[in-house]
Amino acid sequence: MVLKLVVWSILAFLLMPLVIIVLFSFHASPSLSFPFAGFSLRWYAEVLGNAQLGSALLKSLTVAGFTALITLVLGAAASLAWLRLGHRGRALLEVLCLTPIALPGLFVGVSLLVLFAQARVQLSTVTIVISHVVLALPILIVAMRARLALFDRSLEEASRDLGASQMQTFGKVTLPLIAPTLIASAILAFAVSFDEFVVTSFVAGTETTLPMYIWSMMRRTVTPLINAISTLALVFSVAILFIAWLIGHLRRRSAVAGRTVS
Amino acid sequence: MTIRPPVIEITAAQKMFGSFQALSDINLSIEQGEIVTLLGPSGCGKTTLMRLIAGFEAVTAGTIRIDGKDCAGQPPERRPVNMVFQRYALFPHLDVFENVAFGLKVKGTPKAEIRERVQRMLHIVQLDSYANRYINELSGGQSQRVALARALVNGPKVLLLDEPLAALDLKIRQHMLVEMKRIHAETGATFVYVTHDQDEAMILSDRVVLMEKGRIVQIDRPETMYAAPKSLFAAKFLGETNLFEAAMAGDNALGMTAVTGSGLRFHSSIVPASELRGKVIVSIRPESFRFNRDNDTTQSATGQVEDVIFIGSRSFYTICLADGVRVRVQVQRSTRTSLPKPGEKTEIFWDSDNVVILPQS
Repeated sequence: MVLKLVVWSILAFLLMPLVIIVLFSFHASPSLSFPFAGFSLRWYAEVLGNAQLGSALLKSLTVAGFTALITLVLGAAASLAWLRLGHRGRALLEVLCLTPIALPGLFVGVSLLVLFAQARVQLSTVTIVISHVVLALPILIVAMRARLALFDRSLEEASRDLGASQMQTFGKVTLPLIAPTLIASAILAFAVSFDEFVVTSFVAGTETTLPMYIWSMMRRTVTPLINAISTLALVFSVAILFIAWLIGHLRRRSAVAGRTVS
Repeated sequence: MTIRPPVIEITAAQKMFGSFQALSDINLSIEQGEIVTLLGPSGCGKTTLMRLIAGFEAVTAGTIRIDGKDCAGQPPERRPVNMVFQRYALFPHLDVFENVAFGLKVKGTPKAEIRERVQRMLHIVQLDSYANRYINELSGGQSQRVALARALVNGPKVLLLDEPLAALDLKIRQHMLVEMKRIHAETGATFVYVTHDQDEAMILSDRVVLMEKGRIVQIDRPETMYAAPKSLFAAKFLGETNLFEAAMAGDNALGMTAVTGSGLRFHSSIVPASELRGKVIVSIRPESFRFNRDNDTTQSATGQVEDVIFIGSRSFYTICLADGVRVRVQVQRSTRTSLPKPGEKTEIFWDSDNVVILPQS
């Protein structure tokens, strides 16, 4: 009984802010406190009508998209290497990957800024993407590690034994088997990039991503607009996770439906 | 009848892993249609030898010929052999049909032919109705059959099996052994079977290749290897045996004689693999002893029955001989002769063609 109460309290503690934000994003009045004065979509209309917000969102989506893509390619290469490394190599790779995760964002931001300045690279969307890849790649590799540890290398040998070349083996066996892990990791990279603020603020130059725009908005005044933006971001994240799940589910079904055996 | 070259011919093969000598001086030729088992304790190099044939490892020295052609430098996908992996290594993202069709597909076989060959193979392994099942929906025995079908559908010159029954429980294992023999008869493929289980080796094989510490110690038919092991290792590894320390006491045209420290004499009519001198080991299987004298039995010893274990058709006796040496005796159940009881004094008999005299090491 007490345990149940504790569990529900923790869940409430975790989820209440979310519920409040979603609820007030539909609030008819600009007030951010109870009593609730009825439902309205006016904040969503205002969000959609805000050109600056739109361009910041587009910027964030572009950056997150490229970050996910680049991280995916690098992560796939890293995971193939990981599968072939011995215990020592794996341990070394893990240390190298875990270190950047432990570093404060402030430090990473400053060092990247100094690096770009030294290399005379103009701060732009490109530098944001590079910085986000630096942040997301270690997280991705750490996330993949646990899943890849279950990968059976004898499957690759079986494929070779059955006549598939190294490239065919990669395409027909290795890639399909690690694809769910890679997609999940890419989504994680997307999420890391989408709401990254600290490092971005160092390397963004004149560019504005969504988190930076929200932050600048809140410096002036806390507006109900933010509730609507946050709710949209939430729906977006859940939708991506759902799509990822759907892809895996449909792939499996189509494999069976595509052929009938008499 | 035409004389065909052996399907596999291994000459003076060696394999080093760093400074570790995994295989040394391997010479082996395997004929078309044979079932040959590579038998030995774990770490004896039997799996390494199989991986050399499959092409997953390269020989450090020596040659391996498959179907007459030296296959040095040939990757696994270009060798006319297929392998059944220890834990099957079935593709979890494909169903049974796609698993079996994999090899044909990568070779670009026409679709209709793939279907026909896969279905015929699934019929041979009795999984006709399982084509659309996923791998995680199969039992251990079914997975085993899929692995067999996936390898055999390619029509390999040689099927390599790496301890294929190790992951199955005893009952299914015995059933699969019978199945394996049937599938071998139906497909006519050459089987090279790796195992550490002497029973599997004896049930299946035309010939057994016994290995120890990276070397082949004996190649023989299972019956021959059981009856006339050439080393102490072979005698101990295959089946149960009684061992007596003895010294050579002369040999003549009829055989050899060895005598134990307490004066027990063993006469053997089996021709030894190498010349024997000085200290030797005498090996006699438990079932080679009897409690009754035959017409021509000349060898015997007396002792006391210490213990009897009755297991239906057979009984195991522990006999303590006069000099304190214990001997295990296995006898078939019989209603005609009376068998000694625990505590009784008894005489045991044996024949010279059941006595194997071996070098000490």
